[in-house]
Amino acid sequence: MSDRHHEPQAAVAGTSMGGAMDLGVDEAETLEKKPGPDGAGPEDRPRSLWSDAWRDLRRNPVFIVSALVILFLVFISLWPSAITSGSPLKCDLAKAQEGSQPGHPFGFDGQGCDVYTRTVYGARTSVAVGVLATLGVAVLGSVLGALAGFFGGTSDAVLSRITDVFFAIPVVLGGLVLLSVITSNTVWPVIGFIVLLGWPQISRIARGAVITAKQNDYVQAARALGASNSRLLLRHIAPNAVAPVIVVATIALGTYIALEATLSYLGVGLKPPSVSWGIDISAASPYIRNAPHALLWPSGALAVTVLAFIMLGDAVRDALDPKLR
Amino acid sequence: MGRYVVRRLLQMIPVFIGATLLIFLMVNVMGDPIAGLCGERQCDPATAARLEQEFGLDKPVWQQYLTYMGNLFTGDFGTAFNGQDVTELMATAFPVTVRLTLIAILFEIVIGVTLGVVTGLRRGRPVDTGVLLLTLVVISVPTFVTGLLLQLLLGVKWGWIRPSVSSEAPFDELILPGLVLASVSLAYVTRLTRTSIAENRRSDYVRTAIAKGLPRRRVVVRHLLRNSLIPVVTFIGADIGFLMGGAIVTERIFNIHGVGYQLYQGILRQNTQTVVGFVTVLVLVFLVANLVVDLLYAVLDPRIRYV
Amino acid sequence: MLLEVRDLHVEFRTRDGVAKAVNGVTYGVDEGETLAVLGESGSGKSVTAQAVMGILDTPPGRVTGGEVVFQGWDLLTLKEEERRRIRGAEMAMIFQDALSALNPVLTVGDQLAEMFTVHRGMSRKDARAKAVELMDRVRIPAARERVRQYPHQFSGGMRQRIMIAMAIALEPALIIADEPTTALDVTVQAQVMELLAELQREYRMGLILITHDLGVVADVADRIAVMYAGRIVESAPVHDIYKAPAHPYTRGLLDSIPRLDQKGRELYAIKGLPPNLTRIPPGCPFHPRCPLARDVCTTDDPPLYEVSGTRGSACHFWRECLDG
Repeated sequence: MSDRHHEPQAAVAGTSMGGAMDLGVDEAETLEKKPGPDGAGPEDRPRSLWSDAWRDLRRNPVFIVSALVILFLVFISLWPSAITSGSPLKCDLAKAQEGSQPGHPFGFDGQGCDVYTRTVYGARTSVAVGVLATLGVAVLGSVLGALAGFFGGTSDAVLSRITDVFFAIPVVLGGLVLLSVITSNTVWPVIGFIVLLGWPQISRIARGAVITAKQNDYVQAARALGASNSRLLLRHIAPNAVAPVIVVATIALGTYIALEATLSYLGVGLKPPSVSWGIDISAASPYIRNAPHALLWPSGALAVTVLAFIMLGDAVRDALDPKLR
Repeated sequence: MGRYVVRRLLQMIPVFIGATLLIFLMVNVMGDPIAGLCGERQCDPATAARLEQEFGLDKPVWQQYLTYMGNLFTGDFGTAFNGQDVTELMATAFPVTVRLTLIAILFEIVIGVTLGVVTGLRRGRPVDTGVLLLTLVVISVPTFVTGLLLQLLLGVKWGWIRPSVSSEAPFDELILPGLVLASVSLAYVTRLTRTSIAENRRSDYVRTAIAKGLPRRRVVVRHLLRNSLIPVVTFIGADIGFLMGGAIVTERIFNIHGVGYQLYQGILRQNTQTVVGFVTVLVLVFLVANLVVDLLYAVLDPRIRYV
Repeated sequence: MLLEVRDLHVEFRTRDGVAKAVNGVTYGVDEGETLAVLGESGSGKSVTAQAVMGILDTPPGRVTGGEVVFQGWDLLTLKEEERRRIRGAEMAMIFQDALSALNPVLTVGDQLAEMFTVHRGMSRKDARAKAVELMDRVRIPAARERVRQYPHQFSGGMRQRIMIAMAIALEPALIIADEPTTALDVTVQAQVMELLAELQREYRMGLILITHDLGVVADVADRIAVMYAGRIVESAPVHDIYKAPAHPYTRGLLDSIPRLDQKGRELYAIKGLPPNLTRIPPGCPFHPRCPLARDVCTTDDPPLYEVSGTRGSACHFWRECLDG
């Protein structure tokens, strides 16, 4: 969303390196680069970045856990009725702020709505906003970034200045200003806003990756052989730029879910009667003394969801970043 | 160096214009700029027309923008919804947010850097893994959730602090809000410091320092830290702008009457001048902080030369 | 003997298993003597030196056996604080790439003066004066002004001179130079090597010169120890080796030096690659690449046979090799 999420990702990287990387002596280089004298051990086969990454991921518990959480979230956002029979909008004021009781494990919120049902249905909003916004940001950002990086010159300079402008605007603030006047009660304005302010982050990554890939010898060779621009971009450059975009987009997905909740908490994202964790947390905060459960359950669900996506992105980055091997 | 500063200042101009224009457009096109001017009531058509003329609202937007910016540079930020000058509002709001930001930065430096150094020196040990996981959790939990939870625990359950901050907002009442505001950045600072320390720890010059027979403490502080903290310092510097802009959530949770609070009020009442004025100042702070960070780089790393 | 390394073993734990970097190295250096340690990268020559200095990265590295005796101290049994006092003061190290080995954000003056403030407890002012003196000593022009500059402001040769100045600062008894000229231009290489040799003679220091460059060795070394797969395969006075190597690996190294009188002929190269240190072949580690290898070489690891009173070779067929 903003520059701060760009730079520290370098810091998030490098969590699970170890072993030979740390030798740091000339001996280590020999260990890394030269195959054994007998030639073809199982480690010595040529491996592609993706199959290699997949092999790493399958063995990474962080990846497995976060992927399972995300699969579960996707499942309940598609079929919430599979695990709850109630309706998130069926509320009984008489039961307001009551605690856990049979059939209502999470208790009731300030309006007497079932917290469990609302928490389950809230996943749909978060997943929808996260996935759709990320798709929009990724498509818009990588197309603009790739074009700017590939063609350079004026278009690149203009795009860079535009990204600077977007980075200079505090995100939450922009959301407040832009969304406060919109009365629509769907997820679309929020998604639109996230795409509007989120694309520069991806476009910077894509631009950088394309510029790096462009300088590769095989790309120069393909150009010399008369490959057209579109062929160069699609066949030779894009595959190299995809990995960093995927990593950043996965982590961004988590932050977008957090952003939607934050905006809804501030009252400008989704508004009741929509169901969203942000709305529920906001609605529960005045009763924090008497009914903390109404605050804790949606907060917990939100935290776990965002955590799952960020950890997934972290794991994917570790697997895809060849520098960390 | 002087020429570099001038060039950077010139580069800031289009970004500044772009960002403020964007906000100006958002506020003007989307909202009703005079809606807030008649207080809580709806303006009657005659007054509305008079106000429109008075504020030049009948002119095209770009002209309005120019007029506004012109006024701004003479120190006239316009009038807030309650009839106060926006500048007066700023004079009360900014000190509060600056205090809050200072506390947050302090937390980042003290806790973030310490944790980063400790984990960076103990890569792969339980402390490292534990802290690393904790940072992931902190990054994942949105600030408003962290804030509400801490308020619930420390303020309501255990009664260590007052759950909301008084209007003077003295330093001691801002400690918890400062921590909440810092939380996400704090986690980033920890991770950044950790990576940086771990990377530099294997570097040749650290090995030289050990080979010189320097005590471990001196190796770590004078050689390892000095180099590893360069990216951290620049991150923290750039964070000042983000923290001030992001304080809006924290200020709402703890009811702090700072920049975020005033902005929130301005937005609720659709008061164009408050919103644009405050955002303009925030954008300026952001740009200047980034410039200072770049210059700081040159001071910290003698290899960088500006041309 | 000034320094004696006996049966030293060092391992590294890596992702692919335990890498046996040093496997029973034994060598010694006398006061005023120069020992050249020769070998490809991965032969364990640098790791041995790091273990002697006590600057091994632990983990993943670990000394698993042997002893290092220096001026009567049994180094591996000393406490870290005692070893630290020896490092820099009694034995010093010169690294290959001075640009990365010097701290980029401190002035060279600070880095030199540090030796005196830490080890000798000098005041900063006196230490600074000493730093200028040292820079003069290694013939860096305009030392008084340049003492305030940073490493990146010096040329490669000047930087290496600063490394040398740092090493001789406290007049140590032993200097270990790890490929001190590899990163330099050929013309500068000779000057730096000359300076190092001159200072060594003057202070009567022991010098361990780690290199893969046989050309450098011939001029300055007294003895040569050739390393392969973490062990010494041949150890001999320098002239003996050049006359007739007693190990096929040494012969291979000598044959692969390009020579003017063989212009036009194909350049010799030892076939194959050095072994993976996590899977060193059984028997003689060199046998997969050895032109003299026979069945016994694949099963029996040769000891260091005594060729003469001052010479040893770890080859079952050293006689054959010696005869050409």
